[in-house]
Amino acid sequence: MPTTVAQSLVSGILVGALYGLAAVGLSLVFGVTKILNVAHGELLMLGGYASFWLFTLLGVDPFGGIPLSMFALVLIGLIMYQLFFSRLIKLPTEDKIRNSLLIGFGLGLILQNIALRLWTADNRGITTAYAGATFTVLGVRLPYVRVASLVIAFVFLLALQLFLRRTYIGKAIRATAQDWEAATLMGINVHGIYRLSFVLGAALAGAAGTLVAVGYSVEPVMGMHWTLKSLIVLVMGGIGSIAGTLVGGLILGVTESAAAIWISNYRHVIGLAIFILVLLIRPQGLFGAKEG
Amino acid sequence: MRTGKAVVVITVLLIGALVVSCGPQTATPTQAPPTVAPTKAPPTAAPTQAPPAPEYIEFGASIPLTGKYGALGAMVKPGYEIAVADINAQGGVYVAEYGKKIPIRLTIYDDESDPTKAVSKLESLYAEQKVVVYLGGAASDMHAATAAVAEKNKVPYLGIAFALYSIHQQGYRYLFSPFPKSPAQARDVFEILNASIPKGERPTKVAIFQETTDWGIELGNLWKENAPKYGYEVVVYETYAPRAEDMSAMILKAKEAGAETLLTVPSPPDGITMVKQMAELGWTPKFTLMIRAPENVAWGETMGKNGDYVTIFPGWHYAVNFPGVDELNAKYQAQFGRPADLLTGPAYACVQIAAAGIEKAGTLDRDAIRDAIAAIQMMTVVGPVNFNTDGTGNVLNPLVQWQNGKQELVWPPEHATAPLAYPAVPFDQR
Amino acid sequence: MTAKKGISLALLVAGVAALWLVPSMGVSDSLLNLLILMFIYTMLASSWNILGGYTGQVNLGHAAFFGLGTLVARILYTGGRPLFLALLAACVVPVAFSMLIGIPAFRLRLRGDYFTIGTLALSQILYITIGNVLPKITYLPIADIQNYQLGPRYHIILASALFTIGVAYALVKSRLGLGMVAVRENEDAAESLGINAFAHKLLALAVSAFLGGLTGGAYAYYQTSYYFNYTFSPPWSLEPVTMTFIGGVGTIHGPVIGAVFFVLLKEWLVMKVGEYHLIIFGVLFLLVVLFLPGGLVEAWERIRRVFTHRPAGKIVLSPSAEGSDLSGNSLASERKEVPMI
Repeated sequence: MPTTVAQSLVSGILVGALYGLAAVGLSLVFGVTKILNVAHGELLMLGGYASFWLFTLLGVDPFGGIPLSMFALVLIGLIMYQLFFSRLIKLPTEDKIRNSLLIGFGLGLILQNIALRLWTADNRGITTAYAGATFTVLGVRLPYVRVASLVIAFVFLLALQLFLRRTYIGKAIRATAQDWEAATLMGINVHGIYRLSFVLGAALAGAAGTLVAVGYSVEPVMGMHWTLKSLIVLVMGGIGSIAGTLVGGLILGVTESAAAIWISNYRHVIGLAIFILVLLIRPQGLFGAKEG
Repeated sequence: MRTGKAVVVITVLLIGALVVSCGPQTATPTQAPPTVAPTKAPPTAAPTQAPPAPEYIEFGASIPLTGKYGALGAMVKPGYEIAVADINAQGGVYVAEYGKKIPIRLTIYDDESDPTKAVSKLESLYAEQKVVVYLGGAASDMHAATAAVAEKNKVPYLGIAFALYSIHQQGYRYLFSPFPKSPAQARDVFEILNASIPKGERPTKVAIFQETTDWGIELGNLWKENAPKYGYEVVVYETYAPRAEDMSAMILKAKEAGAETLLTVPSPPDGITMVKQMAELGWTPKFTLMIRAPENVAWGETMGKNGDYVTIFPGWHYAVNFPGVDELNAKYQAQFGRPADLLTGPAYACVQIAAAGIEKAGTLDRDAIRDAIAAIQMMTVVGPVNFNTDGTGNVLNPLVQWQNGKQELVWPPEHATAPLAYPAVPFDQR
Repeated sequence: MTAKKGISLALLVAGVAALWLVPSMGVSDSLLNLLILMFIYTMLASSWNILGGYTGQVNLGHAAFFGLGTLVARILYTGGRPLFLALLAACVVPVAFSMLIGIPAFRLRLRGDYFTIGTLALSQILYITIGNVLPKITYLPIADIQNYQLGPRYHIILASALFTIGVAYALVKSRLGLGMVAVRENEDAAESLGINAFAHKLLALAVSAFLGGLTGGAYAYYQTSYYFNYTFSPPWSLEPVTMTFIGGVGTIHGPVIGAVFFVLLKEWLVMKVGEYHLIIFGVLFLLVVLFLPGGLVEAWERIRRVFTHRPAGKIVLSPSAEGSDLSGNSLASERKEVPMI
């Protein structure tokens, strides 16, 4: 029994890191541009299919192919932004959020059905030669594939954090997120920053999608599920906080896995309930700074 | 001014409704929706005696082509289309009342996997196309909703791709399903195991992973009930809600209890997650019956070697040795590059049964067709079919197993393409 | 003007009477079904619009109200209780539930976007929980199905739809309705004028839940069978938003037009373009959101303006402007850039 509990918690951590990576793109975009892209789950789906194609058509290893699927998502994100979301950036915040919701729905519907035509409704996934291989630590089995996903999630989140803290562009992004008017006055090209953030968010969704395709499976209707998970993590962790997003994802993953030991039917409900409590008690998120 | 707007509203409502409802009604019979099977009318038969025959026998289907059941609908649709084309190539169905063969015209609508829309589609097929037979879509909740429409409109309804037995316990008279149901699936698995594995080597410790859906519960309970009768012991009975990212808790319990058989009915995403995690956690049941998720041909590609040894009760397999199957496979091959999919055969059989029912009734009267189908005894691509009073069909329930990335027919032996591979090789030794 | 108003009123009554008489005109069940779908979607959109359109609280969990309505009505009705009682309970239970959400959320002045995400999460909780507790298909009793008559169902659903529109109209035209719009436009300013924002938001939520529940009750009475949790699924939350926006948000007739258009367009597309209908629908929806922020109502006003040569300034285009000087003025100045919810 103790190993079962330990194994379940480890599984929760492995899932949680993926939740964090899935959410961080949404969080970044929302934090900087105030665009709430509910088609984020669909971007994840496209990332998953991109690596699926790379793997089955060209034999590219899914982990090695992450840059390629991210690149594909950069292009898609750029098109989505230029055609649709860029029209919203001048709106007041509340309207921007609401209208981006609507555009997200529309885009989600379109992307789902395009995916259905391209890849059919079958569930697709990637099983590499080393899938299922594990190593054991203190009686707990650790699958290489999922540990690799964990490491990749950490690396991406760390890289993003460093990018935002240490580079000039990163600082410009943060400045824009804090106060876009002041940022404009400082000579920052706010429109460019918005576009960059959106595209960066899409690329991160592409990476997360690849990991979903490796660890689970992708299908055209998966978007809503992952958008919802990302939203929960986003609000739990605090908008725009990279570390918070990661911790939020880990908390969600571990809670769900722990819940699964005793009340497996309600694993999703547990996550949602925690989310609503956080919303009511600490709306700025567990790690978000109090907004002025 | 404000009432003016209200008037506009009401007018729009009325006009709109009239436009849509009148459109199809006045449409010429040759205009058909785009998803209609390309059923060419045979060279026009010479005008004969008797009452003027209708130009077509109208069949209608509402199938989930988009949405969550799209993968199932995609296997069902070609089955209907090929069957109708085959019958029409022979000139159609002979209807005694008119003394001639009349071709079938099949109208197919997409219902987006949404029961509300499916109901509205069937109503429209009834009102506009005046269909004499409904062909069902896929998945139990869709059938439950649409079979009720058939009951209301008193149109015979043939549906496959659902094993839920409780639908048949509602007293529906017009619903017929030439497809194996839960009681058969719950019984046959143990009978097949006992028949093909010598006593002492049987995987008698059973784990059941039950999805909390009505079918999952129905089948889970039946398995639990049947197991002791055949000398099996259920050591783990776990429930889970659909769409779980992490099934480790369940799998570990089964592993600790030393379970040797896994019985479960996961949806495709859950089935994939389940097997991936079983491999990672190092639990290889000697025998796995996993209905639903591995039915799709994409399973092999998605799971690779880990997908092997899993067995399914799919309702049909392209290798069954019945008349017409080879021709169906050839046509499917030409269109899709592989032999017919698991649900395509049963779908084809639905059309065969409906056509035979019409021929036997000798009329296009729906009640007469219903009675004829209820009493039918015939050979189809799914084998011999007859129906019980609750509309369930007595049909073959073949067991299929994934071996080397292929779906092999392993039971019954007279149809089998390969013997049952048992016990399963542990995941890490494949 | 009064004469014109009289004519309009007479036309309205005639229109309603005509709708009422449709089943006795010997039309097909398919037309009745189509109309019933329009009525149900009209109710769904109109009930959402009271909170989302007039009070500016975007609720992405309307399925919770609709679903609770279907659940309660279905259990009572198939349990042999009278229809009236079932429908009444379908209205009351969602109101009670809405108070559980509304009181903490509005008391804490939860940010609008958090309210939106929170309602989405709540409806998901109900969706999953109902799926676990009642994982069954619900059927109308077989006797009901074999003798299923659309006529009486049509009339009850039409009456419910008229009731919904009537309640929305009466509420919006009342002082309370003006207060709701004021809260939407500027909560702080409204409070400084003595408007109790909390009470107004809560009232709008309650009415929205009540009518959403009624919609569910009507659906439960109409639909022969479905999974109990199906009516809690996300489309029932997203579609009212979609329809209201297509029609014109924050107006009485917008949701009606949106719902009619939504049903007809989908019906038409599915027949014309088969499997591609959802892609085309999505594109059309995006076009409306981007280029017709006021929805079809605004498009209609623009067209009418062209024909009547009225100066633009006099016509209040903003979806919310109807009947309120306060919001009309505040919006007219910035209507170019504000597609309001």
